[in-house]
Amino acid sequence: MLTVEGLGKSFKNKRIISNISFEVKKGEIMALLGPNGAGKSTTIRNIMGIMYPDEGTITFHNSAGKEIPRDKIGYLPEERGLYKNVKVMDILLYLAELKDYPLARAKERALEYLKKFGLEGKEKVSVEELSKGMGQKVQFIASILHEPELLILDEPFSGLDPVSQELFKDEIRALAQNGTAILLSSHQMNLVEEMADRLFLIHRGTRVIYGTLGDVKKEYANFKCTINGMNSGTLLESLPEIERVEQNNETAVLYLSRNVQPAIWLKNLPEELDIQELSIDRISLHEIFIDIATDKNLLKEAGELHA
Amino acid sequence: MSCMRNTMKVAKWEIKRNMKSKSFVIGLFLTPLIFLAFLLVPNLFSSDDDAATTTVYVNDQIGVYDQMEAVAADTEWQMESTQVTEREAESALEGEEDAAYVFVTEESVETGTVTVYTNEETNDGFMDEVQILSGPLQMAQIEQLGLTPEEAGLVAQGIVFEDASVGTEEGGLFSANMLERVVPGAFAALVMLSIVFTGMAIFQSASQEKKDKIAEIILSSLTPSDLMQGKIIGYFVLGLVQVVVFVVIALPVLIWNIDFPIIEHLLVPELLVLLLIAILGYLLYAALFVGIGATMADISTAGNFQGLVMMLPFSPFLFIGPVFSDPSGFVAQLGSYIPFTSPGVLIMRLSLLEEWPWVEIGVAIAILAVSVWIFMKLAGKIFKTGILMYGKNATPGEILKWIKA
Repeated sequence: MLTVEGLGKSFKNKRIISNISFEVKKGEIMALLGPNGAGKSTTIRNIMGIMYPDEGTITFHNSAGKEIPRDKIGYLPEERGLYKNVKVMDILLYLAELKDYPLARAKERALEYLKKFGLEGKEKVSVEELSKGMGQKVQFIASILHEPELLILDEPFSGLDPVSQELFKDEIRALAQNGTAILLSSHQMNLVEEMADRLFLIHRGTRVIYGTLGDVKKEYANFKCTINGMNSGTLLESLPEIERVEQNNETAVLYLSRNVQPAIWLKNLPEELDIQELSIDRISLHEIFIDIATDKNLLKEAGELHA
Repeated sequence: MSCMRNTMKVAKWEIKRNMKSKSFVIGLFLTPLIFLAFLLVPNLFSSDDDAATTTVYVNDQIGVYDQMEAVAADTEWQMESTQVTEREAESALEGEEDAAYVFVTEESVETGTVTVYTNEETNDGFMDEVQILSGPLQMAQIEQLGLTPEEAGLVAQGIVFEDASVGTEEGGLFSANMLERVVPGAFAALVMLSIVFTGMAIFQSASQEKKDKIAEIILSSLTPSDLMQGKIIGYFVLGLVQVVVFVVIALPVLIWNIDFPIIEHLLVPELLVLLLIAILGYLLYAALFVGIGATMADISTAGNFQGLVMMLPFSPFLFIGPVFSDPSGFVAQLGSYIPFTSPGVLIMRLSLLEEWPWVEIGVAIAILAVSVWIFMKLAGKIFKTGILMYGKNATPGEILKWIKA
């Protein structure tokens, strides 16, 4: 649906993004992840033609010419709002009209979605009377009302309560199942982890990780073992296949090396180890994310090893 | 093609949005009403004064009362002969409304002075009007000199200074001939003021779009220039709506109140030229408003620079004095060639001049049209970047950079 190749953009002499390449396929949820200021919104604004890239190409496979097929794209920007002194239905219909979507159909769908999002009967209410969460829902409806083939959501969950977050997640999933290609940016990894098919992790304007969620986990997320018990640091560090130990009172997190076989590793634990609790799992996306954002070297090492 | 369609969608939206807003609709009807109030309320007061007739008591001791009454026939006075003495007059006036006592004595004829007693209620214009009573007194003076009736007639006729300067045969500023030229000009000025004032809302609309953070959503469906042009066209139409409302409300009142065939003098070919100037003026100011509006996060935080630019549409007012005193003078010509003052100055001049300087008009309109084109381009560049810059006002330096980009 959408292919981005070698995208680069500078402001003044500062490089914001460089060599960004990814694609979004029909019916999949592709997540663009990264800490604040990583270049997510800049990438999206370049795709939307709101900014012009210095280098690289953006190809929409559903469009014949060079023009951005605006009518087929739904866009929810990070910086978003609505006209204050107009009625909910008026603004929804105006935005649908701008997309050349048939009016009667738009009205029907708008009512349907308002009902779905618990805003039944609010269509004649002025936007300024809505709560912030309601406003966000109306914005979301506006971005999908015209049945876009490609939906670009920049931080769709920011400022939403958990209930609304679930509502949005379900709807996004349903849209993907119906064939919509979805590009979703977020800095909330836990939310994205459960719904993204593929992800692109960006930091300081460059790619860190790109692949399916499973691949990424397999490749980058090593096992870690958390042990509760009275153990000395030297004992823990002497264990096999350990890359790093983080100890905090009785809790120790052991970061295991890439090729560790968990079953064998467990079998080989020394008997003097005090184990009150033990868990072994993969490093979560959240931790990878924090790691990158705070410039620790955990992931870099993994990346280098793999390079 | 699709560009124009998007432009019209935006225009339609801006029109609809405003027509549904209470404050716009109230303003729509209030403007002509305020105009009429300013025009007619002073009139009401003065006609009240006229209706109240001044009672003029004349104590005539030389027998000219009949002649006096004859010359006063055209006034609103109620003449009455009286025998009240000067002393009694003062106290009598305290009880009277709008009255005056005139004492014509032998002494009056000799010295040429007549004593008149008035009070606070007496009509303000009375002391000027009362001069017409001098005629019969002069006759009495002349008779005393013992002249023949012919000689007396000649002297009484007095000497009149006749105004023979070119082009003013018709007299004062608002003679009928003058009105013929002023009517289309005034209408063009009304059109321009209406669309420019309504157009000032463009500025608010652009900065509101930033404040509400909807610009980026809108721009995912169309280009910045579609959005900008849509706003300019939308507010132009809203301005015309204002003109129509104005005309519908004010014109019948004016026709009924002013004894002059307004319509006949309004629908002349010259009106088209004046309207062209008004529309070009609107487009120039609209470009300014939309560009500046896009550089501002909030109207209340307008910097000096933005404020200064906002004042430009009012610059023609600086030329009112010089243009009225000499519509063909250097200052008037200069004002016609400066883009921001030219719409106002041209309309003023063309309302005053009997012979239109067509070459000058052509050059001025050409300059104006080119300026409109340039400023639209500049506004487009500023708008494109400015509309997406949230939360702060752009500095003149930044604006310059966008223009260069």
